[in-house]
Amino acid sequence: MGSSFTQWVENLGLMFSEAKWSSLFQHFDLVWKGLGYTIVAALAGLVLALVLGIVFGVLSASRNRVAQAVARIYVEFFQNTPLMLQVVFLGFGLPIIWPQFNVVPVLMVGIIGVGIYHGAYISEAVRAGIQSISKGQLEASLSQGMSYVQAMRYVVIPQALTVVLPPLTNQAVNLIKNTSVLLYIGAAELMYVSKSIQATYYNPGPVYLVAMGLYFCLCFPLAFLARKLEERAEASAGSGQA
Amino acid sequence: MKKLLVLGLALVLVISAFALVGCGSKAEEPPATDAASSNEALDPAVQAIKDAGVLKVGVKQDVPGFGLLNPETGEFEGLEIDMAHQLAEKIIGDASKVEFTPVTAETRGTLLDNGQIDMVIATFTIKPERLEQWNFSDPYYQDSVGLLVETKNGYTGLADLDGKTIGVAQGATSKDAVQTEADNLGIKVKFTEFQTYPEISTALKAGKVDAFSVDRSILAGYVDAEREILPDSFSPQDYGIATKKSNTGLADYVNQFVNEIKGNGELDTLLANYNLK
Repeated sequence: MGSSFTQWVENLGLMFSEAKWSSLFQHFDLVWKGLGYTIVAALAGLVLALVLGIVFGVLSASRNRVAQAVARIYVEFFQNTPLMLQVVFLGFGLPIIWPQFNVVPVLMVGIIGVGIYHGAYISEAVRAGIQSISKGQLEASLSQGMSYVQAMRYVVIPQALTVVLPPLTNQAVNLIKNTSVLLYIGAAELMYVSKSIQATYYNPGPVYLVAMGLYFCLCFPLAFLARKLEERAEASAGSGQA
Repeated sequence: MKKLLVLGLALVLVISAFALVGCGSKAEEPPATDAASSNEALDPAVQAIKDAGVLKVGVKQDVPGFGLLNPETGEFEGLEIDMAHQLAEKIIGDASKVEFTPVTAETRGTLLDNGQIDMVIATFTIKPERLEQWNFSDPYYQDSVGLLVETKNGYTGLADLDGKTIGVAQGATSKDAVQTEADNLGIKVKFTEFQTYPEISTALKAGKVDAFSVDRSILAGYVDAEREILPDSFSPQDYGIATKKSNTGLADYVNQFVNEIKGNGELDTLLANYNLK
C-alpha cells in the first residue's frame, strides 16, 4: 500500500511536472485557436439547430399527418444514431459517395453535423412547448381570421417560449460539449488541439485539465441560465394558475 | 464568487479522478521477490517482470510487418511482436508470456508513464525531445518519412503538393519532417491531424487530404492498386524500444537485448521474414 502510494505521487508528479506545464503555456496560442473554433462551431451549430428545431417542431405539432410523419422520421433517425457516426458519415462517407461534397470545409461539415443532431432534440422541445398551450388558443386565433402560421407566430409560440427555453438551454450546453466529436474528422477545435499538443509535447495532464476548465467556463454560465429560466417558468406558471 | 468556488471544486474532482486512475494501474504490482528463484543477479526491475510472469508490451496493431493484429487469427504479428516474444523468452523463460496492448503515437508515452505497460516496441522513433521523457534502446530499424497519394491525381513528388493538405497522425514526427522539406522547396503545405492511420487512409480515399504522410514502412501497409508511395523520402529516423524514464535497470537490459540480436544475426533473420529493408 505504502509503495503504491509513493508510486501514485510519482506518477502524478510526472504527469503534472513543471516542464509539462511550461510546454503547454509555450503553445497556448493553439489552445486559444481551438477554443475559437469550438465557439464558432457551437454558435453556428446552435443557429442551425434552432432553425431545424423550430421548423420540425412546428411540423410535428401540426395536424397534417404527412408533416407529422416527416418530423417524426427526422427526430427518430437523428436521436437514435450516435452523433459520432453521423459526423463520420458526413466527413468521410459523403465525399466518397459524392466527391463534389469535398468543397465543403470541415468546419461547415461539423456545424451541419451537430446542428442536425441537436435540431432533432430541439424540435421535440418545441413540439412539447406548442402542445402545452391549450388548443382553444389556436382555435380562437383561427376564428379571428388568422392563418395557421400567423396564429403560431403571434399567439402560440411566444407563450410556448417560456416552456421551451430551459430545455433549449440544456441543448445548447450539450451542443457545445458535443463539438468535441468533430476532432474525428480533423476539425481543429479545442479537443483536437488538446490532443495534438499533448501528443507532441507529452503533457496530457496539464492540457486536458485546461481543456476541461475551458469547456466548463463555456457551459456553466448556460447551465446556470437554464436553471434560472426554469425557476422563472415555474414561478410564472404558478402565478398563472392562481 | 460562487462560480469560482464551483470551478475550484471541479478542478479538485478532476485531480482526484487522475489519482484514481494512477492507483488502479498500480494495484497489480508484483509481489516482493523470492530470492531463491534466481541465481543470477537480475536487475530488480527485470526480476519484477519475471516474478509477475508476464511481460506487458505496447505494440502497433495497424502496421503490417511491424505490429499488426491479424483480423483472421486474432493474433498480433510482425517484427516487433517477435522481438517481444524473444524478450519474454529471455526474461521469463516462456516466449508466450507476453501481454500486448495496442498503442498509438498518441497513447504510448502515457501508458509507459502510468506503468500500464513495461515497454513500447511500436515503430517509436528516437528523438532528442523524447529522450528527455523516456529511455530508448539502440535502434533496431531505420526508416524515413514518405508520402502516399492516389495515383489518379498525378502527383510525382512533394513539389507537386504546393497548397495541398497532408494527412498525418497526431503525435507523429512526419509533420515536422514534411514541413522542413516543404520549406526547403519553398512550397506551402497544410496539415490535418487524425487519430489513427486507418482514418488518414479513409481521408485520402475521400479526398479530404491530398497525401498521407508517415514512416514509409507504415505507408507500405496502405498501398493498393489505386495508390502509390512517392519517391520522396525525408529525415531518416531510428526506431528504438522505449521504457519508463525512471526504470534504467530495464532500459539497460533491453538495450543489451537489442545489441545481442543485432550481433548474432537474429534481427536480420526477422527482418528478412517480414520483407523489411
